[in-house]
Amino acid sequence: MSFMGFFISVFALASAIGVVSVRNPLYSAFCLIVHLLAIAGLYAVLESHFLAVSQIVVYAGAIMVLVLFVLMLLNLKTEEGRGPGVLRTCIAVAVGGVVLLVALPPLVGRFARMSVIQISDAFRRSEGTVRAIGAELYGDYAVQFELSSLVLLIGVVGAVMLSKRKNPTLGPRPGGLFAGGKQ
Amino acid sequence: MFELLVLLIKVIVVMNLALVLGSLCTWLERKGSALIQDRVGANRAGAFIESDKWYVKPALPVVRMMGWLGFINTFVCDSVKGLWKEDFVPAGTSKFLHAVAPIIAVLPIMLAFAVLPLAPNFTLFGYNIHPRLAPIDAGLLFVLAMGSVAVYGVAIAGWTGNNKFSLLGALRAAAQMISYELPMGLVFVALIVVYGTLDVYTIVEEQGKMLWGVVPQWGIVMQPVGFVVLLLAGMAETKRGPFDLPEAESELAAGYFTEYSGMKFLLFWLGEFCEIALFGLLLALLFFGGWQIPWVRLPEGVWWAALVGHLVLMTKVVFFCVLQIVIRWTLPRFRYDQLMNLGWKMLLPVSLANLAITAIMKVLL
Repeated sequence: MSFMGFFISVFALASAIGVVSVRNPLYSAFCLIVHLLAIAGLYAVLESHFLAVSQIVVYAGAIMVLVLFVLMLLNLKTEEGRGPGVLRTCIAVAVGGVVLLVALPPLVGRFARMSVIQISDAFRRSEGTVRAIGAELYGDYAVQFELSSLVLLIGVVGAVMLSKRKNPTLGPRPGGLFAGGKQ
Repeated sequence: MFELLVLLIKVIVVMNLALVLGSLCTWLERKGSALIQDRVGANRAGAFIESDKWYVKPALPVVRMMGWLGFINTFVCDSVKGLWKEDFVPAGTSKFLHAVAPIIAVLPIMLAFAVLPLAPNFTLFGYNIHPRLAPIDAGLLFVLAMGSVAVYGVAIAGWTGNNKFSLLGALRAAAQMISYELPMGLVFVALIVVYGTLDVYTIVEEQGKMLWGVVPQWGIVMQPVGFVVLLLAGMAETKRGPFDLPEAESELAAGYFTEYSGMKFLLFWLGEFCEIALFGLLLALLFFGGWQIPWVRLPEGVWWAALVGHLVLMTKVVFFCVLQIVIRWTLPRFRYDQLMNLGWKMLLPVSLANLAITAIMKVLL
């Protein structure tokens, strides 16, 4: 891989370690943002511009803003205490190891032999990545794509229903945080 | 070698264009607001400058004129003052994040300029030159992505302020920017449907074609509703005009940059004005034919035609900058619930309907 790709990979790994090791939840979220941007950078190095930009728009630009928003509202403090015990660390390492074992063989087997140049050539042949991805999504995988949009819709409706449900123990709901006048 | 040189020149030109347009907007805002409020505006600094030095003397009338126009006040005095002011960091907060936030607020806006074409392609010394930095095939989406990354600068700034005014300003800004990104993105999608490409250069070229042989296929003709929605959403994205709730001075001191001083504060300012310029550039490129003059065909690939095109484009950009400044100094500020209602109950359904109608028209015609 090119020097740029190597550089960005180091960045991505460092920020990923930061996410789980930093004690302040807000800093952890910042690390995650850096990590997501680094992944977008990796896509860009692999000449998959559309994927890189979508990664920024969806994850770094929308989801993480909401995460940050909630964390700031909750105003969490740095976690005190000794951290996770030995047992929990062992379980975490075991789970991580299994995931790595599952993920490693295909990466080593297929992509190791397929150089970056070949992948980007494949993209160039299909006249731009946007067209290629669009054709795949709305052609071969149209049913799956529509089904996943249905799942998302159900999720949205569920979230709205949950927030609408009145909790009798809390009394009347207070006005919105930003309410300037009438609601 | 030549390619590298061209790339270097492009980097310098694009970054300076962003800065120059940004500071030009600052000056326009100064003088424009003065005009609208029946004042004179900055016209003293440098206006009465005297010197006996022979190498300064010939330039004196020009300098005096610039002082009289307020250029020196805006371009020299402000930045020099910003550099020399005490840099205050509130207690109990992260110094690193406090310093990084203004940079995060400016950087994405500058980066967004990189994917936008600034003139038609031309040939110079036998080389084809594409007057834009990064010809990526998802150019329009990249601008949107950078707009959404700019939220972090504001959010981090408000959080490191370590007080309630800053935090409330940051939360307001984040909520506002997320809300108005949706209609903005939907207008972009409608434009993509109309012109069939994500590439801004191709979109501009497509706008040169004639509709029924009479009217140029400009975005304003093809997507009038989209233009109105994008104008409103864009003004909300820049957190200005009637949408400046995040820094509402009557409620929140100065909102998210309450605790900022000196050059860091000026960076926020610069980011805001660069965003105005960027938005003006977007409107000119997407809706007003970019570098094209209606019913006039400039020869393709000639350097002077590219120069003329660039000047035409910049005229349009400055027009939209002035338009935004006039709106900002004319309309009173919204209430926050009005802002949210406008975003979610007006612009979002309208832009969705616009997209649906556009798609149906595209299939039928």
